[in-house]
Amino acid sequence: MNLAVFVKQVPDTAEADLVVAADGRSVRTGDAPLQLNEWDRFALEEAVLWKERTGGALTAFLVGPEEHEDALRRCLAVGADRAVRVWDPALPGQGPCAVARVLRAAVGDEPYDLFLCGAQAADDGFGLVGPLLAGELGIPSATLVNRLELQDGRVRCTRELEAGWGEVVDLDLPALVTIQTGINEPRYVSILGIRKARKKPIDLLGLGDVGLDDRRVGEAGSRLRVEAFAPPPAGREAEFLEGPPDAVARQVVDLLREKGGVL
Amino acid sequence: MARLADIDGNPVAERYELTACLQCGRCTGGCPVGLRSPLNSRRLLYEAVVREDGDALVARDEVWDCTACRTCSDRCPRELDPAAVIREIRTLKIEGGRIPTTAMDALESTLKHGNPWGRSRRRRTQWAEGLPVPSVEDGQESDRLWFVGCTPAYDPRCQAMARALARLFHAAGYAYTTLGTEEVCCGSEVLRLGELGLFEELLETNREALQGLEIREVVTTSPHCLTAFRTDYGLEIPVRHASQAVADLLDAGRLPLVRQAPLRVAFHDPCYLGRQSGVYDAPRRVLAAVPGVELVEFDRCRERSLCCEGGGGRMWLEGLGEGERNAQRRVRDAADLGVDAVVTACPFCLLTLEDARKTTGLEDTLEIVDLAELAARALDDPADGPGEEERS
Amino acid sequence: MSVWTVVEHRAGAMRDVTADLLARAGGLDAGPVTAVVLAGPGEADGLVSGLPPGAHRVAVAEHPDLAGFNGAAWAAVLAALARREVPAVILGAHSAAGADWAPALAALLDAPVVTDAVDLAWEDGALTAQRSVYGGKLHARVRLAPASTTVATVRPGGADAPLPAGTAAVDRVEVQVPSGLGKRFVEWVQEAAGSVDIAQADVLVSVGRGIGDAESVEVAEALAEALGATVSCSRPVVDLGWLPKERQVGVSGKTVKPKVYLALGISGAFQHVTAMKDAGCIIAVNKDPKAPIFRTAHYGIVGDLFKVVPALIKAVREARGTA
Repeated sequence: MNLAVFVKQVPDTAEADLVVAADGRSVRTGDAPLQLNEWDRFALEEAVLWKERTGGALTAFLVGPEEHEDALRRCLAVGADRAVRVWDPALPGQGPCAVARVLRAAVGDEPYDLFLCGAQAADDGFGLVGPLLAGELGIPSATLVNRLELQDGRVRCTRELEAGWGEVVDLDLPALVTIQTGINEPRYVSILGIRKARKKPIDLLGLGDVGLDDRRVGEAGSRLRVEAFAPPPAGREAEFLEGPPDAVARQVVDLLREKGGVL
Repeated sequence: MARLADIDGNPVAERYELTACLQCGRCTGGCPVGLRSPLNSRRLLYEAVVREDGDALVARDEVWDCTACRTCSDRCPRELDPAAVIREIRTLKIEGGRIPTTAMDALESTLKHGNPWGRSRRRRTQWAEGLPVPSVEDGQESDRLWFVGCTPAYDPRCQAMARALARLFHAAGYAYTTLGTEEVCCGSEVLRLGELGLFEELLETNREALQGLEIREVVTTSPHCLTAFRTDYGLEIPVRHASQAVADLLDAGRLPLVRQAPLRVAFHDPCYLGRQSGVYDAPRRVLAAVPGVELVEFDRCRERSLCCEGGGGRMWLEGLGEGERNAQRRVRDAADLGVDAVVTACPFCLLTLEDARKTTGLEDTLEIVDLAELAARALDDPADGPGEEERS
Repeated sequence: MSVWTVVEHRAGAMRDVTADLLARAGGLDAGPVTAVVLAGPGEADGLVSGLPPGAHRVAVAEHPDLAGFNGAAWAAVLAALARREVPAVILGAHSAAGADWAPALAALLDAPVVTDAVDLAWEDGALTAQRSVYGGKLHARVRLAPASTTVATVRPGGADAPLPAGTAAVDRVEVQVPSGLGKRFVEWVQEAAGSVDIAQADVLVSVGRGIGDAESVEVAEALAEALGATVSCSRPVVDLGWLPKERQVGVSGKTVKPKVYLALGISGAFQHVTAMKDAGCIIAVNKDPKAPIFRTAHYGIVGDLFKVVPALIKAVREARGTA
């Protein structure tokens, strides 16, 4: 079984202070470390599990600069046989449609059976690249998959819906699935493992290698453009309770009495 | 000295000469988690000899219960090293990707943020707000480095340890510097969890920092950092624990502890300070110098101290389930001794004993206090200003 | 010029987000609003009669292959209809369904597409959208290129009141669903109801990833016990296996409206917040003063929950006289 997984390296913004540049058009993530997008971790683990079960081959793809290569090293460390990075000076600032086009070109004519990617990215959360890529490849897709069963020539997916519902769909292979968190337990990738993976090469492709015209990618090829970043609107600002824990606890008890009819 | 295991190479038995094992059981007999965990060093060594492939060993999840206290290795009549075998099995598990999620998070955090607590590097010096703590980032150099440590830097309860120590050093006019936000984890727990690759990276980073700054002496807040620098890194320069530094300052008459801090206390010897580093007297010299402090020794003190179960990466691993935890036993013993407080000198001991104090309902009758915190109470001007920890 | 709203329904029942969509569609000022209903044979009538106000016209398409839900079938049918009528904007919900059909539709039409828009505006023949990014820490305004048809999905909630109802003309349209889509709906599944129904609780003590590990959930359980409350959680806690799925508050879990919601170590991601924001009194504890939860909570405590919660347990027990 020939598998492909698409990954993205994103900043871990949990603790970081995000600073909007003066022109409002970009964000400085400061000292926020980069990490493999959380949804892609699950997708990668799922891809490796299916590779192990079917005895197949796995290729990992990433669109990004050299600083993002760690994501591919992680894929190689976990069991990918091949890693491909696509980058070109024309690419920064591109929207999801353009990313999908680049990935489609990078996949080329290689006959894959199943393509996997995370359901969305932690930074922009579009959830678009996967299904748009499926469109480019001309194959069926299912999003938000939390359960996968490979059967003869097809894959049975359970899609995660709202409020505890699920939707079971069958896709004919080749197909693309976008993976929801919680589908599996991603394994740990040790530093030694990543170091060993450094010995495996990462194929680097430019636009010319994949036969793409730079008018179809990058900002020029995107029909979605970020005009400005800004802090979110204030919304309801919580009233902060101050003081040491004991004092705060007493204030909470008062609130519980007043508002909750408790105590 | 840490050894990089050759994962694809020799079987565990050969590497540790386990055929010499007598199966006497002294190791298991001294294990602090033996009663509540399936972890059994004697059986593990037998398995490693009889079954030479890693599969059966790697399946043993009980290796995550080990606190790396090294009682087993210390007691072995043949000088074998069961503690290292357990760690080796952890390494095999890690290379296979199977590790409890909480430990995974701690390791990944250490790689990303330089500390296992998931906090950003930028915040590493927030504990020192308002205190005169010199840092290389402010251009303050010295050939003595105070290695603060991740837990004293980030954990709200343990920050009081660091603050107290800073005040003691300041009162004594002690010359030192710190690495500020550039300080990264010493790797002690990373190594004991079995993540050798990450440990190596931390070792490199810290060695370079020490060399670059021409440091000639290191003082650590935590006995775990002490063990890392002294034993695991094999540093040639002297590495001392804060209790030793403070004891020496007291002996030299440089630290005026004048205010009364009346308290009847027992001292809990941390495994990594006592048994593993041989430091028993320095903390006691400090206690003797605090006016009003009366020391009552635990029956299990010094070499026989009861492991609090905070080491060996256990701060990030789940507990052993039912039954009384060692830390709970310890605080109950303290209550039986009739002391007001248990004093300790390790951030993990501090946290586990504090926890135990709450879960045994001894919150209102027993205090857990760090050695430096207690000593600082006797300083002429103990008022800490903003951030003084309330005792609860 | 017209705006289409693709009606959301599941297993015969209209989903609330449809009202949202219709209100937003009207608010765009990009032409009259058509509500598009795609359904299996005989399913549409109930949906049409239950349609919220806001549509000037209702287009109904029934087909056996539209029974259940099949994102590819929906996209194919919508694409065929869109090529005929060329709506300026096709609006859907940023929901599990929308995540499936909207991108596929955009691919078929080669249309610009934006998802999860918090706000939308139609200016000079092009769509601009406000989106929440970086886990809710920032907003981004994006502009889509002008095109004859643009596809957009909107984040549920936050729309203004719907436009007054008029009588909408109902059009039944004939549609084909191409064979060879390679995707087939099999069935709906529902999680077995657990032993606990968090939606019934008056007071919820809810934990997020900040609780740290499975063992520490005990601290929340102790508080819940002291309060006579129920423990719930956010998604990551379930993903990590610390609590069972039946305790999850969130879009993919349960929506709750307790009198009091205590959020411990919960960052405040949209998928969680949207499912508890209507609670009577929300009190959040988080060590990050910038955590998005503080924009939903009524009261906030910036601090270490392992200090605050034990203090709270003590205070509650004292208040109860059970200290």
